[in-house]
Amino acid sequence: MKDRKNKAAVGRKRTARKTGGVNFRMVGALLRKGREERRSMFKAGQFDLLGFLLRVLLAGAIVALFVVFFGRFVGVYAAIKTAGKPDLVSRSNELLTILYSAIFLGMVVGGVGQLGRELFTADDMKLYSAMPINARTLFVARLLSIYRGQLVIALVAFTTVNATFAWRVNVTATFWLLSFGSCFLIPLITIGIAAVIVPLFQVVKRFLKERYILMFIVLTALLGVAIWLYSIILSGVKQLLLGDSLKYFFNEKIMRGIGKACSFLYPARFLADIMTGVRPLQSWLGLIGVAVAGIALSMIIIRSILTRSLQARNQGSSAAAFRNSVIKGKGSKFAALLKKEFLHIFRTPSYMFSYFSVALIMPLMVYFCMDVGASLVVNLVGLDCELELAIFLTILFGALTNVFCATNISRDGEMFYAVKAMPIGYKTVFLSKIVLCLIVTAISQVASAVTLCAAGMVGIADAAFIGLVGLLFSFANIAVATRYDFNHAKFSTEDDGEIKESSGTVSIVIVVGLLFSFLVGGLVFVLKILGQLRSFEIGYLTYVLAGGIALLAVALANFYLFFRLRKKYYEFSGGGI
Amino acid sequence: MTNDPRFSQPSVVAVVQFPQPQPQPQPRIVMQQPPQPASQPSHKRLPDAQEVVSVKGLCKRYSRKAPWAVTDVSFTCREGEIVGILGHNGAGKSTTLKCLEGMLPFEKGEIKIAGYDIRKQAEKAKSMMGFVTDNHATFVKMTGLQYLNFMADVYEVPTNLRLKRLKELDAVFQLGKPIGNLISSYSHGMRQKICMMGSLIHHPKLWILDEPMTGLDPRTMRAVQDFMHAYVAEGNTILFSSHALNTVAKLCDRVVLIRKGKQVNELDMINIYAQNPNFDFEEYFLRNEGQEE
Repeated sequence: MKDRKNKAAVGRKRTARKTGGVNFRMVGALLRKGREERRSMFKAGQFDLLGFLLRVLLAGAIVALFVVFFGRFVGVYAAIKTAGKPDLVSRSNELLTILYSAIFLGMVVGGVGQLGRELFTADDMKLYSAMPINARTLFVARLLSIYRGQLVIALVAFTTVNATFAWRVNVTATFWLLSFGSCFLIPLITIGIAAVIVPLFQVVKRFLKERYILMFIVLTALLGVAIWLYSIILSGVKQLLLGDSLKYFFNEKIMRGIGKACSFLYPARFLADIMTGVRPLQSWLGLIGVAVAGIALSMIIIRSILTRSLQARNQGSSAAAFRNSVIKGKGSKFAALLKKEFLHIFRTPSYMFSYFSVALIMPLMVYFCMDVGASLVVNLVGLDCELELAIFLTILFGALTNVFCATNISRDGEMFYAVKAMPIGYKTVFLSKIVLCLIVTAISQVASAVTLCAAGMVGIADAAFIGLVGLLFSFANIAVATRYDFNHAKFSTEDDGEIKESSGTVSIVIVVGLLFSFLVGGLVFVLKILGQLRSFEIGYLTYVLAGGIALLAVALANFYLFFRLRKKYYEFSGGGI
Repeated sequence: MTNDPRFSQPSVVAVVQFPQPQPQPQPRIVMQQPPQPASQPSHKRLPDAQEVVSVKGLCKRYSRKAPWAVTDVSFTCREGEIVGILGHNGAGKSTTLKCLEGMLPFEKGEIKIAGYDIRKQAEKAKSMMGFVTDNHATFVKMTGLQYLNFMADVYEVPTNLRLKRLKELDAVFQLGKPIGNLISSYSHGMRQKICMMGSLIHHPKLWILDEPMTGLDPRTMRAVQDFMHAYVAEGNTILFSSHALNTVAKLCDRVVLIRKGKQVNELDMINIYAQNPNFDFEEYFLRNEGQEE
């Protein structure tokens, strides 16, 4: 019996030596640990069914929107003629190349984030470095975990794109087979590219760490560029919806440019060629070559940074020296809490981005959408509804910006209890959070109104009204989000207390915000159209309706916020810690 | 003897059986040992001391279905006293302290801090105390100095006292230059120091600490212990929980023993040491109170 055990142990050691020191049992155990952690989120008491369903619903809505628009676009694009003839293969090839490139890009960005998390910030790295797990085993487990994540994204994204494409263009069974098979190859490429970028990204991240103002400028500028690119897509959508003008947009010159650009978009081009049957052998060789290079690159780079990141984590980070070393004069409790709240958001990059940067960029989003929307409405309905559209867009983007407030309580983590033990009234605690959000949203709403006014889209009085209505709805939004989060608080269990995953509360606040903006925006819109079609003057109805509903929303939100809040606050023992 | 009427109740205060000194076998080689300081409280009880903490019949459970985390815990702390709460892991020490601090609600009982009811006059009661939690939770996105300013604002410390208090506290805790750094860059011990400094910035009447000595370097630990003695000598009160039996024996005037959420004993350390200067508290705890049921 003992001999058999010894032989088995020797056998395992030999296998480990043959496989380069990788202990596959340990790899299995590490992967199992991750699986168990994910599974534990679905356990009774931990699982937020409503939030989960809403998240699925939101994801489904986004996919459905894409399928409808892209499906329609495929039909239009495939019919475009070059040199007087339609060329289905070339158009399909171009379209798939562009879309695959976008998916590749998204997967690389996701891969950089995933690699950064797995290698540099994951909580368990410190523990693993002290356990008898060799670096190669840990490396293989990490790589497999990253691969699995990328594979899921590839399967969802490529299947959606290919299915929508197949809905408008006839495809063979081989197309489906290739579509499924390629998903297993693509993550190898994207992980390879991400592995090259991740060390550079970490250098930039480390440089920006604790340089909060610079980080804020960089993040806001990047978001601004993204919004600008989005506005270009929006104008494309506008052209698409306006029908004929799209044909003029895709003229010979533009099509030549697209064709030329697509010829450089590797490795997506290889995949598009394979799917459309263009140069299949060369494309397969090219794709496999890139995948092999990707594996090799990721192997070399991830292994080289894994050991260093383990050591760096254990050393801890260096402290930045602050010049501020004077004791401040006496301030109020409210001001102290307000400052604490601001510093907490401003000095947490993900929070800073998702609130301050987004709020600052919101006027641009409103402007671009207004620009597209106004001409669409005039062309499609033949009516002037700029005020109604502006109200709708302001409420909509205000709601999306204030989604951040759905973590107003959870964000505090265990410090919520510490504040509770301080001699501060519950109203001061809640109002400090709400007032900070209101300041941010007020800057955003006023800037939106000023932008619309400056662009000549609305008059001064209308701009003032839009700003006011936007602010009132934002207050309602913030108050509801804060109270709902208080009722369903879930504190982070991360080392740094940062919330890294969106909760069901966030999904609920998004859905409620969207529904409300569509209801109010839709109501004033429909009434305006009805009024103009039936030739009756609606006069100040838009102002009365939007203003009245805004005031009602404020009153209801205020009631919801403070309803039995004192009792609930002193009885609070939630947070899930 | 103290005037506390509960001391006459045998259900709360057990008769302490002092362990008899055992004859020790003679070692072959006897090392020259430096004289050991007596392991007993080194400060005196204040005459006419007022009650600062009054806990009566405290009962707490985390949910309706959950078992009671704390059942019928009652004790008092007077001015100039250091009181320790002792018990196993999960005995209910932290829960008791959190109820006292107003962090957690409780089902039954009454807690008064300097005469203020923690439920009815929460803000007044809370302004009387400073607290340090077991996990040393702070606002990690603030610098040490910003945190102290925040605490000073919350506890309404006048501007002219802030710098003076900061200097006094820095002399004890010796955080030094890193006070200007982000707390997220602090080590475990440094976080503990800044938490203690923050909790003392308003010079509270009652200082509550949950496991205060864990993670402190020996020098700071000694400085904190000396500070505790000096602090209570001014008429303040300290209530803390700990696993470190020697620390408890050395510091506390009285010790409340909790086992599985129930108060099982309350020891008057000053009287015990007055009767038996060789009383081995660790031995006593492990033999009598340290046993699981």
